[in-house]
Amino acid sequence: MEFKDNVPIYLQIEQRLIKQIVQGQLQAGDRLPSVRKLAVTETVNVNTVQRALRDLNMQGFIYTKRGEGNFVTDDQDLIADTKEQLIKQAVTDFLKEMQGLGLEHRSAQAALENYLRKEEQDGDSEH
Amino acid sequence: MAILSIKNLSYSKHHKLILQGVCLDLEPGKIVALLGANGAGKTTLMRIISGQAKHWHGQVTVDGQDNEAARKACISFTDQLSGFNKAMKISQVADFYEQVFPDFDREEYRKLQQFMNLSPDMRLREMSRGMKEKLIISLTFARQVPLYLLDEPFSGIDVMARKRIINSILLWKNDQSTILLSDHFVNEISSVLDEVVIVKDQTVLAKQGADDIRAKGQSIEQYYESFYQEGEDE
Repeated sequence: MEFKDNVPIYLQIEQRLIKQIVQGQLQAGDRLPSVRKLAVTETVNVNTVQRALRDLNMQGFIYTKRGEGNFVTDDQDLIADTKEQLIKQAVTDFLKEMQGLGLEHRSAQAALENYLRKEEQDGDSEH
Repeated sequence: MAILSIKNLSYSKHHKLILQGVCLDLEPGKIVALLGANGAGKTTLMRIISGQAKHWHGQVTVDGQDNEAARKACISFTDQLSGFNKAMKISQVADFYEQVFPDFDREEYRKLQQFMNLSPDMRLREMSRGMKEKLIISLTFARQVPLYLLDEPFSGIDVMARKRIINSILLWKNDQSTILLSDHFVNEISSVLDEVVIVKDQTVLAKQGADDIRAKGQSIEQYYESFYQEGEDE
């Protein structure tokens, strides 16, 4: 998998796994692949994977069962809170981008609604 | 304890200074790149650590051993196999390694050779550059030692061979051993590195953690190039 080359890789692995948990690709109680397996599939150093998993452990996204590996948390509150944060981040990014194009929040909202309406119409006309 | 410790190393050849004031410590369990332009002294440094180059000054300790014979026993070094008859089969080269190195693990070699898709009956003269590098890596990793030295393992080979070799590093390296690999190019391997060491002006200029460099918003490549920006000394 590709990585941004100017952001620590352990952080990028953490963010990827958190996203997979929030999106449900990784479900509560699922076992993560072994450290070495993750290292090979992502083509990264074993120590980097270990550091990412240690952080996720501390943040509560995964837990370790001795001798069995790492498992996804069943803490639904944490997952819901994280989802909330990711949504907030995505919206903030969108608004910032629009601001850069000269659209203040209300105009950005209008542009989004306009887009969605057009999409719905196009979708209808295909049927 | 450091797995490799170099203190105040200097080396001249034919009255020409090749290395001076080199200090370097490597910890166990790391993958470290030795980066520098061609002619910066990377290969010489590797040859001194492995005991192939003589008459240097300073101190080189590997896994606590500074006596040359004991130190050599702690190191597996990529040999270019130029001393072998080109008509030899690779199984015969492996036989030789097994006889010479007590730490050569034939079973591990068999697995590596299989992983690299090498046939034991193949002869050295029939091998492409990429195949030969895969063989060299297999022989090097089949030895069970604390320190592996890979001298430009990716030069002149295709993408698929490179990918195989990188995966073999990730699969075969045990938690305690350290790999020092040299390259004049860092792009494709930067994601597997723990640390980079910059060689320039006949010495080691810097050692940095790969993710520490990225945490400052720099890529490994930018970091490496920042030492060579003025374009002198190449």
